[in-house]
Amino acid sequence: MTQLLTIEDFTLGFRDRPPLLDSVSLHVNDGEAVALVGESGSGKSLTTRAALGLFPGGSEFSGTVAVQGLDTLTASKQRLMELRRGHASMIFQDPRAGINPVRTVGDFLTETLLRFDGLSRAEATERAVKQLEQVGLRRAKELMDQHPHQLSGGMLQRVMIAAALLNSPDLLLCDEPTTALDVTTQAGIVKLLREEQQSRGMGMLFITHDLNLAASLCERVYVLRRGRVVEQGGTQNVFLTPQQDYTRQLVEATPVIDVAGLEAPAAAGVPLLEVAGLSKTYQLPRGDVITALDNAAFTLPEGGSLGVVGESGSGKSTLARLVVALETATEGELTLRGVPRPRRALKASERKVLAKDVQIVFQDPYLSLDPRIPVGNAVADVFRLHQRQGRKQAKVSAAELLGRVGIGPERFDARPRALSGGQRQRVALAKALAARPRLLVLDEATSALDVSVQAQVLELVEELREQLGLTILFVTHDLAVVSRLCSQILVMHQGGIVEQGPTARILEDPGDEYTRNLIASRPRPLWDAEPVTA
Amino acid sequence: MTLAVQLPQAGLRRYGSLLSPMAWSALAVAAAVVLLSVFAPILAPYDPDYVDLNNVLAGPGAQHLLGTDALGRDLLSRLMYGGRTSLLGPTIVVIGSTVLGLLLGLVAGWSEGWLGKVLGRVFDLLFAFPALLMAMLAIALFGKGLLAPILAMTIAYVPYVARLAQSLVVAERSRPYVQAYRVLGFRTPWVVLGRVLPNLIPTVGAQSTLNFGYVLADLAALSFIGLGVQPPTSDWGAMIEESRGALLGGYILPAFWPALVVVLVVVAVNVIGEELSDRIGGKLS
Repeated sequence: MTQLLTIEDFTLGFRDRPPLLDSVSLHVNDGEAVALVGESGSGKSLTTRAALGLFPGGSEFSGTVAVQGLDTLTASKQRLMELRRGHASMIFQDPRAGINPVRTVGDFLTETLLRFDGLSRAEATERAVKQLEQVGLRRAKELMDQHPHQLSGGMLQRVMIAAALLNSPDLLLCDEPTTALDVTTQAGIVKLLREEQQSRGMGMLFITHDLNLAASLCERVYVLRRGRVVEQGGTQNVFLTPQQDYTRQLVEATPVIDVAGLEAPAAAGVPLLEVAGLSKTYQLPRGDVITALDNAAFTLPEGGSLGVVGESGSGKSTLARLVVALETATEGELTLRGVPRPRRALKASERKVLAKDVQIVFQDPYLSLDPRIPVGNAVADVFRLHQRQGRKQAKVSAAELLGRVGIGPERFDARPRALSGGQRQRVALAKALAARPRLLVLDEATSALDVSVQAQVLELVEELREQLGLTILFVTHDLAVVSRLCSQILVMHQGGIVEQGPTARILEDPGDEYTRNLIASRPRPLWDAEPVTA
Repeated sequence: MTLAVQLPQAGLRRYGSLLSPMAWSALAVAAAVVLLSVFAPILAPYDPDYVDLNNVLAGPGAQHLLGTDALGRDLLSRLMYGGRTSLLGPTIVVIGSTVLGLLLGLVAGWSEGWLGKVLGRVFDLLFAFPALLMAMLAIALFGKGLLAPILAMTIAYVPYVARLAQSLVVAERSRPYVQAYRVLGFRTPWVVLGRVLPNLIPTVGAQSTLNFGYVLADLAALSFIGLGVQPPTSDWGAMIEESRGALLGGYILPAFWPALVVVLVVVAVNVIGEELSDRIGGKLS
């Protein structure tokens, strides 16, 4: 077995700053799938890019990075081009960022074949079509004439994989290639990558933040933290019996579906939120109508916790926005605390009353807070508005509440940009809670966070829920996260509710085909996967 | 779907961090010109309107640092006093157009209904008229002088600010933090004026700074064609115009100095404006 990729003592950084990568050593053998896992900022992408001779401008580096004996740190541009063209390919996270939107898929795929491999147009087209078929795309010939915007994210990522495989590379570098995709789409891509890697005997380095995903695809794993490899070994060993504290934390923080640990849902109390026949349609300029939410009906009792699960476009965010009155329903009833919601834009006075009943925390911690307002004042403003507190009293209340969500008084005057993603979500939570709502809507509120941070924020939400008697509506794509927090689940697909009921029942014995598919699509470790059926 | 990727920490650069050498020099030039103009009555060596026919078209020397014009008036003093009118005009225009433009832009950007669309079309319509043409129309209606062109230019520059403000507001309106304000029950005027407006000011300020240079050049051009500031008031554009005769006679200095100052100030202001918008771009990305 030969080493395809050898990285030894690779250190990279900028002058006068602590190094971004510190003596990283790793290798990928012929025909082997290796995972590189770590949280954001751990240096995963930097390491992988170095294998293609891509370094951030102005950086200084030392050590060895060699692909099939070619040292990419010292190789000439010409040699690097040959390497990237013929021996090593890379697949990135966002397929749309890597393809020219005004040219067709065919142009994209045949470009290098025509320019560098001296193929005729007919030959190049034939080879591209064959490759598209091989990555599981149907009607490949028609696809060649289509533009990127006509393809879904999953299809486009398959096109990118096809492009990466065109020159039969020996080494495939994958940088979070499924992170932007839905779970069910991800499952298909992962299966494809595994099959291609096995049948071609390629070496693969797969970067991901998702331990489950790494386990479902790779035999060996390196765990990277702050630019250092903290642990390495067989995936099964590392994940089942981690030796390092950090790996252990990471494994523990990774959400898993744990049906056994679920508490039975409390007996249905007084209904807090009742939804019946709720629909939302959008009229497009050309007369088309888009149904974002179709005839939704459910009841959420006071003190309950409901998880709304679905993939992109399922209507789950529309539902959340309707509940907090950021959208107005086209049809149906929405009743909160016995008060029916009017089907029109709310007046300022109505909104202020509603604010004390329901609040929301959004997904993106970087856009959820006003960049100019110190976080303490942001929370104090809410106390002044809703609890009619004076300036001083509001500051005291804000500091107290921030302390409760884990933001110390030294952060009171900090602007959001001085805080980490997790801290910002805590502030957003405090801001919402300052209005003392009964119902808290979490719209993918932990999805943009690293797993360890996500685990902490989830724990906080759970704690606050118990202390304050909050009712929770948790909108997310992640079944495992929901299973941790919610006693009831509602599964959405293409605007409609396909199934709802107690979490344990839905996860153990899903009644709907789509729900089953959703659960089955979750990445499964190689060591207890069912035999792959082609 | 969700991206578990975090954006790089924004805001590593701060307002207080060092300016580039270019920006420093631009700032120095602008400050010098402003100070010399404001304090002209104290600093100017001569009365700018004092005619000395014994000393016409003198070259630079100990007596007259920059020389004299065809009527023997001291060029340096006229430049310094000229700065007062030449800078006052753009200042008023920029302040006026910024305030008006911000307000109209906020209204246009915030209202999702017909109002926003109508205002947007009005801005487009105003865009179609060159500022100079508007100013000349105003002069035709209200007579020569500084007031008519300033009013006209203010209106002409409103859409530059308003369009920018409108697009910023539209982007801002859909951001989660603004939506959170709505859900929290804060009143719209408070959110728009108290929270959204301050977030626009850096970007709009950069645009307005750039506008200052354009307005200065436009007003100087108006004075040059004799429609702006009237003699004997000193003004850079008017000074160039008055020096045409001398220029044809081979005396370039009386026209050169005011032209140079106009160019210096416009370039300086542009550099500052670019630097501001670069910084804001870097800060927000």
